Amino acid sequence: MSENEQVITTLCAPHCGGGCLLKAHVKDGVITRIETDDDTDNVQLRACLRGRSWRQRIYHPDRLKHPMKRVGPRGSGQFEAISWDEALDTIAAELRRVVQTYGPAAIVHWVSGGDQAALHDGWRRMSRIFCMLGGYTRPWGLHSYEGGIFAELTCFGMGYTAHTRDDLLNSKLIIMWGWNPAATIQDTNTAWYLMQARERGTRIISIDPRFTASTSAFAHHWIPIRPGTDAAALIAMANVMVMENLQDQAFLDRFTIGFDAFKNYILGKEDGVAKTPEWAEPITGMPAATIRRLAQDYAAAKPAALIAGIGPGRTAYGEQYHRAAITLAAMTGNIGKSGGSCGGKSWGPHPLGKMGSGPKIPPNQVDDTVPHPPGKLPNRKYYIWGHGIINVFRLTDAIIRGKAGGYPADYKFLWITNANPLNQWPNTNKTVAAFNKLDFIVTEEHFMTPTARYADMVLPTTTFFERTDVTMSASCPVSYAYRRKIIEPVGESRTPLDFATDLARRLGLADYNDKTDEQWVDAILQESPLTDVAAFKRKGFHKIELTGPSVPFRAQIEDPKKNPFYTPSGKIEIYSRMIADLNLPNCPPIPKYIQPWEGRNDPLAEKYPLQLITTHTKRRAHTQFDNIPWLRELEPHAISISRTDAAARGIRDGDRVRVFNDRGALIVPAKVVETIMPGVVDLPQGAWYNPDENGVDRGGCANVLSLDRPSPGGALPSNTALVQVEKA
Amino acid sequence: MQLAFYFDQTRCTGCYTCVVACKDWHDIPAGPASWMRVETIERGKYPHPFMAFSCTPCYHCAEPACVPACPANAISKREQDGIVVVDRDACLGKDKCQLCLEACPYRAPQFGAEDNAKMQKCDFCIDRWAEGKQPICVAGCPMRALDAGPITKMESRYGKVREAEGIRYDEGLRPSLVCKPRRQVYLASY
Repeated sequence: MSENEQVITTLCAPHCGGGCLLKAHVKDGVITRIETDDDTDNVQLRACLRGRSWRQRIYHPDRLKHPMKRVGPRGSGQFEAISWDEALDTIAAELRRVVQTYGPAAIVHWVSGGDQAALHDGWRRMSRIFCMLGGYTRPWGLHSYEGGIFAELTCFGMGYTAHTRDDLLNSKLIIMWGWNPAATIQDTNTAWYLMQARERGTRIISIDPRFTASTSAFAHHWIPIRPGTDAAALIAMANVMVMENLQDQAFLDRFTIGFDAFKNYILGKEDGVAKTPEWAEPITGMPAATIRRLAQDYAAAKPAALIAGIGPGRTAYGEQYHRAAITLAAMTGNIGKSGGSCGGKSWGPHPLGKMGSGPKIPPNQVDDTVPHPPGKLPNRKYYIWGHGIINVFRLTDAIIRGKAGGYPADYKFLWITNANPLNQWPNTNKTVAAFNKLDFIVTEEHFMTPTARYADMVLPTTTFFERTDVTMSASCPVSYAYRRKIIEPVGESRTPLDFATDLARRLGLADYNDKTDEQWVDAILQESPLTDVAAFKRKGFHKIELTGPSVPFRAQIEDPKKNPFYTPSGKIEIYSRMIADLNLPNCPPIPKYIQPWEGRNDPLAEKYPLQLITTHTKRRAHTQFDNIPWLRELEPHAISISRTDAAARGIRDGDRVRVFNDRGALIVPAKVVETIMPGVVDLPQGAWYNPDENGVDRGGCANVLSLDRPSPGGALPSNTALVQVEKA
Repeated sequence: MQLAFYFDQTRCTGCYTCVVACKDWHDIPAGPASWMRVETIERGKYPHPFMAFSCTPCYHCAEPACVPACPANAISKREQDGIVVVDRDACLGKDKCQLCLEACPYRAPQFGAEDNAKMQKCDFCIDRWAEGKQPICVAGCPMRALDAGPITKMESRYGKVREAEGIRYDEGLRPSLVCKPRRQVYLASY
């Protein structure tokens, strides 16, 4: 290392669920190399390929260096560079005009998890401005795992259900249900703990339409399953447990309500159809004997962790799958126990560690003046992305139809933070129509993304290397990280809080920001348990020492009188009164298998016979990193198709194919594989939408084919879509 | 002394972190040159596929084929640690030669996209050993599937298996590698 070179620690947390240490080498104000965690005292938080590629992202030639104003039609990509003064003056004038003409509800802010930080955070900073102006429309709902949230809020009354991953080492059996953490990360060391569990002799079973890298590395068995039928398999497993009297009846009696109603359903007393493995076999494609043995093994292994991946939950009636998984975890008595699992969604933030949240946000008058929306759980607002009156999956429709369509307002102004919604909201062509209907769109970006191409103003924002902040890694070990400003902002890009402050001043909000970033960091850390902030800042991070794995609901199981569950009954609700009260069609108060739309029995399957799933690739974090040369060259974007389905269509490996349904069409290369269930095709989500003159997407954006219809319990069914594939 | 790699194929998930970390550390642009290469090996038929990943830097062979193959004497093997290095100034370039690449069964010699690119290859992170650090691929592997050190130490720690899926041991060249291969472990039916 040369004399004038410094090595500075920071944290990468770009929307993969992980948080990994990066050590940036800096010379003459330029990052020259990146290393990762070399801590010899604690478990290391080693970064993946994405984290290692940051240098090509920071210094990418396409990095936005000036505010960009749209000068051509939306989507044309015609922009001109303007000054910050002009950009912020224009935005301030538009904001004022929209609020005065249509009221504050016409302003929509969509923020996703693309860039997690405490201070330059996505929603607080902008939310504060909008609320100071009188409020705004804040959509609720998470694309990633709304079905899982619904299940947890109804079964447990809360959504913080994830064990720290070190607890995998205490499991006798791990069932990976649609879970591929080798690609999706979901906590930095998830794959590493799974490997250690395997090496200690834990049996691991993978249920998945695909044979993934995770299945190949961790699992002893692979059981393919048809997409959208997971609830049927789980319910048949419950049937086996009851028929063979394998359930932990004492646990059910003590900690749950509604098991008898569920039992009636699975035994066929309700509808005359016993939900046996033989019933589930033609639905799921899993042999009845396999389902039976899986049920027996899960009931026998104590403790056993059923890890319910969130991909299977992103299907039509995906909340039923999550509720069924939780019910099975209760039937096997694995809830609240080390080495077990409550059967909830495979990832969620841990309520471990604590710090402040910066400036206070005034109440949102728009939310407050509208009654609680029908169909939304009363406790949904207590979990992340829970406030608001419009379900995000309805937002495109709401923008298009407005008040005339029965929505609370006409929407005119959209501010986008840390997100690429044109690409990532379902049904891209409909999202394009919605964007075209808006008066004004602002997005904060590093690049001219598909969303940015449809915006009126694109504000160049900094990466976390270019500003001071503090954040937490929810990974194991849970850590605090000080993100020191390591380099100057690239081009004229500005930090999010900096341009927000400038905008607030133009809007007459004089007391918006009275501190420097460093002062804010100190204020945020005042509410943390860190005693020596100076030492923490010097070191750059702090790993929280836990006395053992964090096990949600341990207190409820050990002393249920003192610690009831957060449900109305105080117990795990297999039968949910809250769901019954919502009175939604196809959303029963006990978990049931409901035949999905666009499944293989849908009449539409005659025209579009293949089930599309839209998975995650290791070389992107959603749409982030898709343009990084080091990552692009590793794996070409392609649709995976089984040898059988490819042969029937005369498709050979590498052929360009047209993938289409009534919602849209795209052209991508085909990858002919033995690792996917026949009848299923997989197009990884996150590739950048790039329509040609005929509206055919040449970028391979999976949402061109997905449907913007949320499941009754809120699950976004991005893995429920029928398509056809043909040689292009 | 001979430095050697250890590769635990049972742990590798094919995540490519080693590839990207190597390109970042050695400042190699995207393109044909990659000192570390990860390949996916797939066999079998649905529903009984087999998948493994091979991880191939330069194995710094005891008897490297590239050294005698080079007409310009640009490649040499260091006495002190057995690392095979290239003198890029002496290399004739890919438009004129490539005999080293033809000689190497592991295709370790790499050439960039530029005109008459000079050969480049994994140097086992000579600069990092000098600072007491392991090679960047080893230090960064999220699955802790890699190790490196004197071959005697690697052998005493991990045994003497030298082959894995996609990696064949060449008796004549004696690559400096110890492996733990992934075997077909998925049961045919459950």
